[in-house]
Amino acid sequence: MRGGGAGFGPVPPLPDPASPALARLGARAAAAAFYLPPAFMALFFLAPSLMTVVWSFWERTMFWMEPAFTLFSYENFFLSARFGNFLSSIGHSSIAVVICFVIGFPIAVFVRRRIPEIAQHRVMLLFILPFMVSEIVRTFMLRPVLGRNGLVNSTLMELGVISEPITSILFTPTGVVIGEVLSFLPFMVFCGFLAMEAAPRHVFEVCADIGAPRWRVFKDVILPLAAPGVFAGAVFILVNGLGVALIPNTLGGPGAVNAGLIATQAIIALDFPLAMAVSAIMTLTLIGLLALGHRLFDLASILEPFK
Amino acid sequence: MSEDYVSPWETRLGWLALSAVVLAIMSPVLYSIYISFNEHGFGAARYDFTTAWYAAVFEDAQLLSALGWTVALALATVVVTIPFALLCAKLFKRLRRKLWLVFLILMPLFAPADIFASSLLVFFKTLNGTFEGIADATGLPVGHFFQLGFVTATIGLIVYTLPYAFVVILITMGRYNAEQTEAARACGATAWQAFLQVEFPQIRPGVLAATAFTVILVFNEYVRSNALKGGFDTFTTVLISQMLNIGMSEQSYAMGGMMSLTAISVVAAILAWTFARRAQLTRRAAAPAGN
Repeated sequence: MRGGGAGFGPVPPLPDPASPALARLGARAAAAAFYLPPAFMALFFLAPSLMTVVWSFWERTMFWMEPAFTLFSYENFFLSARFGNFLSSIGHSSIAVVICFVIGFPIAVFVRRRIPEIAQHRVMLLFILPFMVSEIVRTFMLRPVLGRNGLVNSTLMELGVISEPITSILFTPTGVVIGEVLSFLPFMVFCGFLAMEAAPRHVFEVCADIGAPRWRVFKDVILPLAAPGVFAGAVFILVNGLGVALIPNTLGGPGAVNAGLIATQAIIALDFPLAMAVSAIMTLTLIGLLALGHRLFDLASILEPFK
Repeated sequence: MSEDYVSPWETRLGWLALSAVVLAIMSPVLYSIYISFNEHGFGAARYDFTTAWYAAVFEDAQLLSALGWTVALALATVVVTIPFALLCAKLFKRLRRKLWLVFLILMPLFAPADIFASSLLVFFKTLNGTFEGIADATGLPVGHFFQLGFVTATIGLIVYTLPYAFVVILITMGRYNAEQTEAARACGATAWQAFLQVEFPQIRPGVLAATAFTVILVFNEYVRSNALKGGFDTFTTVLISQMLNIGMSEQSYAMGGMMSLTAISVVAAILAWTFARRAQLTRRAAAPAGN
């Protein structure tokens, strides 16, 4: 490609030296354009996310809220059944994180180590595919899969494995965990895959040469090298498990409530300060976790290959 | 452990596990597509193939209008997100301190939909109040700037899609050799010419993939558009309100099936195009010199 063929036409004339000021202004405007997207994100992502902390102290009015400093929303969250629900959703999300790691990370390692380099990205597309199908469809359609006379139960009964349908996999906490694992598993695979870039082939050759046992290679070589990716994947799954309302809403049954659902229900009830308190707690948790991860493993290193 | 010592059975087992996981993740999608073509719907003992449920979707005026709004949102989002993603990727390459940029652009990936949608909703309501105040005080026609509607929904969707487009374009740019730009500049090209004529043709597949990705994400998105859209409906908001309020009907399966089949065919088309292009490049590279 590089050496190939016709490139440019005639060499363009050098900039007119008569208008250096204009040229400088143009160059400055072009340089500023690069900062437009970060400015956009600061205004429409960072500012709203951080403002949640301020709004959470405001006072609720009939349809909106007014500036004040009250801890009422936090009391409303921590001293009610909401906090208990929140804690149990942390439990469910954590279980989902562990399951995603146990299933997803070995897949990432397998793709990196056993599949020829040229085919690795194509295999990853298999995991991008479900990601491209709407989460709504994937979550809602788990109902006919997991339901009483759904795909799982009817298949198992036809095979004679069970005689009665299993009812504990839908509209229960188990249903929520299944939904979270199926929704977020690809993320653990991606993050693990990106992170395994940090573990070059020759490292494993050295391990083989000194006869290191398999679990030592995993524990002492693979895991530390891939830690940033695994951590990023885990934070994603944990925080989304807490924040995506759709999963407990459709698969969880009566008691299943997470932070996302508390916030959306508060907004429907026009209790904006409560919704903002929940958002603030989630935003600060996310920032805290990412800062911790960065301190521990330098999360930016995940993007190292693209530098 | 080099390749020579790997047992083929271990590799086969790995492939088996991988396929099983992909199949499990896709099971709701595939099963709902299967149901959507059954005349008798979900749970029926008989299976008679029909496309009637899909036809019903296209006869529904409300759905067609929702589809129109979704297409408009997707276009508006792409027009901003893709240039933004290109600018971000270029900025990422040239910055010495990249960390702040990475955090700012990629953080929305981690922010859960409902939480972020709630904060942005309150943010826009506040902005709207401020702008209405300015309009009242000064008489300037700015009062409607941040009223919930098409613009606010688009902003929410840009914030949502930019990280994905950024990563996809960054990956493609990673394969581009910056010395080519230097060479072009040395030959007298302006920075813009060097980008447009040398770099862009090489990263075009990534830009196309990012565009397709963005369109699909907007089509599939529900929470942010639902919170920020104001008066109109999108395809997913209609689908969700149907499923939550009326329950799953055969038409819901057909709508879900449409969304899944569209996404799957777009991914398949991109894949096929990439393979065809690669084959063509390989053929060209293998052709004897002088041809």
